[in-house]
Amino acid sequence: MALIKDQQLSVNHAATPEIRFSDWLNHEQAAGDTVLTNGEDDLPSLLASANKLSMIAIEFETFADGRGFSMARMLRRDGYLGEIRAVGDVAMDRIDFMHRVGFNAFELRDDQHAAQALTKLGEVSVHFQPSADGKGPAYMA
Amino acid sequence: MYAYNQFDQTLVDQRVEQYRDQTRRYLAGEIPEDEFRILRLMNGLYIQRLAPMLRVAIPYGLMKSEQLRTLAQISRTYDKGYGHFTTRQNIQFNWPTLESVPDILADLAKVQMHAIQTSGACIRNTTTDPFAGVSADEIEDTRPWCELIRQWSTLHPEFAYLPRKFKIAVSGSSNDRAASQVHDIGLHLYHNETGEIGFEVLVGGGLGRTPVIGKTVRKFLEPQELLSYLEAVLRVYNLNGRRDNKYKARIKILVNAIGIDAFTEMVEAEWQLLKDTELRLPESEIERVKGFFTGPDYLSAVHAGSDLQGVFVEHPQFATWYRQNTRDHKQAGYRIVIVALKNQLQAPGDVSHQQMDGIAALADEFSFAELRSTHDQNLVLADVAQRDLLALWLKLQDLDMARANVGTLTDMINCPGLDFCSLANAETLVLSRQINETFDDMDYQYELGEIQLKISGCINACGHHHVGHIGILGVEKGGKQVYQFTLGGSASNDASLGKTLGRSIEQDQVVVVIGQILDVYVQLRQIDETFLQLVRRLGIVPFKERVYGTHQRSAA
Ligand code: HEM
Ligand code: SF4
Repeated sequence: MALIKDQQLSVNHAATPEIRFSDWLNHEQAAGDTVLTNGEDDLPSLLASANKLSMIAIEFETFADGRGFSMARMLRRDGYLGEIRAVGDVAMDRIDFMHRVGFNAFELRDDQHAAQALTKLGEVSVHFQPSADGKGPAYMA
Repeated sequence: MYAYNQFDQTLVDQRVEQYRDQTRRYLAGEIPEDEFRILRLMNGLYIQRLAPMLRVAIPYGLMKSEQLRTLAQISRTYDKGYGHFTTRQNIQFNWPTLESVPDILADLAKVQMHAIQTSGACIRNTTTDPFAGVSADEIEDTRPWCELIRQWSTLHPEFAYLPRKFKIAVSGSSNDRAASQVHDIGLHLYHNETGEIGFEVLVGGGLGRTPVIGKTVRKFLEPQELLSYLEAVLRVYNLNGRRDNKYKARIKILVNAIGIDAFTEMVEAEWQLLKDTELRLPESEIERVKGFFTGPDYLSAVHAGSDLQGVFVEHPQFATWYRQNTRDHKQAGYRIVIVALKNQLQAPGDVSHQQMDGIAALADEFSFAELRSTHDQNLVLADVAQRDLLALWLKLQDLDMARANVGTLTDMINCPGLDFCSLANAETLVLSRQINETFDDMDYQYELGEIQLKISGCINACGHHHVGHIGILGVEKGGKQVYQFTLGGSASNDASLGKTLGRSIEQDQVVVVIGQILDVYVQLRQIDETFLQLVRRLGIVPFKERVYGTHQRSAA
């Protein structure tokens, strides 16, 4: 599975965590832990624990489940600086929007061509609304 | 009206190329069917019974004549020479090929149009009062606010994969002509007690399978915080709306499940974090956008106005048309003209390419080169000088668009039904034909006064049947197409859902039953009582008795 991270094809990176956030909450915890989450988890507790986590992998069980977009946006709003990785049903046609709301890493679905996917970041270069990428409408510039 | 700058143009141009690449990859087998389905829907492309259907956005129903000419050209080049205006102020083409859509979008982009988010589980075209900025009863012009919403919602990265479609309507006058209470969000611009302008925000209205009237989440919203508040509502919905069942996925179901108080609390809590952030609209941006809607260079009342009494005597039909199809304008000497897309031969809302070109020319000549589409599937020339009305009327006759039936029984809303739609349970266009044949006496229609007849071919309610004074819903029973009637619905200030009349009616009996319903009204009405008022006063029973007492052929 190819990974795009910080707008490049990544070869050397941490594995996608297998421990689910809900399990991690009941576990021994250490700074720098990484977790896997999705829209079913309790978002307020995720936001409250984020500062202990170095990576939060948000899973898209199906591409049509848009909850992960709001989750990433809210994590960044709270100042989370660690990696937010999109995993699951992740295809090139969504990574630009994902990037805008705060994801910085994308584990692409198997059928995706990684080099082609990279060209999709910034495919639409102007934006009508502020988001986690700090870009926004002309009047904000 | 609003004109694109370089920024808007770049966005739309790049979006066309993005979609072109998606179409290419789909045709090359690189995008799975179910995934491309979502991508094409976000660009307004459905696959229907006979062919694909492309829905083009007309933001809050406003068009330049040049844009309508492009729509005519598109219908000639890529379609069968006509288009269909919808209840959400957009236009649909029924016969383009999937392969040609990127080229159509490129043609649209040249005249500042697109099909972005005209379908799919995202924020749709914002709709408003077709008389915004010109009507005599207006409190505040909604168009700048609609434009601000259009921009904010276009390619919003967080809200492209919502649980379900999301529709926003804005009303700014004492008469709600935007059906704002049956939208996911309804916004009412008004002055509060201290004279400040702001929005009342309604959430959770909608039609479809579970019709609901919207509920107030905020009584007064400072307009600068419009976008932050919308973002809060959308975020709460995106995170909490049901995704396991598409029939229970609209925001109205969420609001009803947790209750309006709990929902309001969630929105307000999120909004506390969003207000006074970069989402707050700067005064300069509001003023910039308002600057596009300052109104045309009206002639003075002396020059524009004209005493029409003599003309009325000479042309009684013109007088009738004036009464039925024009409305008061806030500018002295001007009238709002409604161009009815409801003649006897075409399906409601349909326009041929010749008519589109013709109307565009009339807009150039008589209405500052602009026009509007309405939620009841008509067009509007918003700024016609009184002295030009007769000339306009004569030319509309040549286009077969001067039928003086606005607000009457035959000014009906009608979804495409089984003739075009793959979700349909029953035909609807056959009903509008039968109704036009049966009720062809215009004097009878005038005598009946305002009657809103709304017809849908299935429970999805694209024809708004729940809020028709008379609503007709097509259903299938034992392989037969039959129709359920509701009475007493309304989408105006006094919004209400119609009550079911009784057992379904067979197709060939629909006009008979309409006739019986009208008879009851004529017999029982008091002086000046409208059909809707009568239904509200007497309820459904007298109609039931009349229809089912004498009428034995209704389907089981
Ligand atoms: C022919 C292709 C069409 C298809 C497949 C289609 C599909 C649908 C579906 C599935 C819904 C229900 C959504 C829900 O309840 O969540 C719906 C609602 C609606 N459609 Fe259509 N539609 C079509 C054409 C039209 C046309 C021609 C119009 C206008 C005349 C229209 C206007 C609307 C409106 C106003 C609603 C109600 C929105 C609400 O539920 O609040 N649609 N459509
Ligand atoms: S109401 Fe039903 S039949 Fe009519 S257009 Fe909508 S989905 Fe199709």
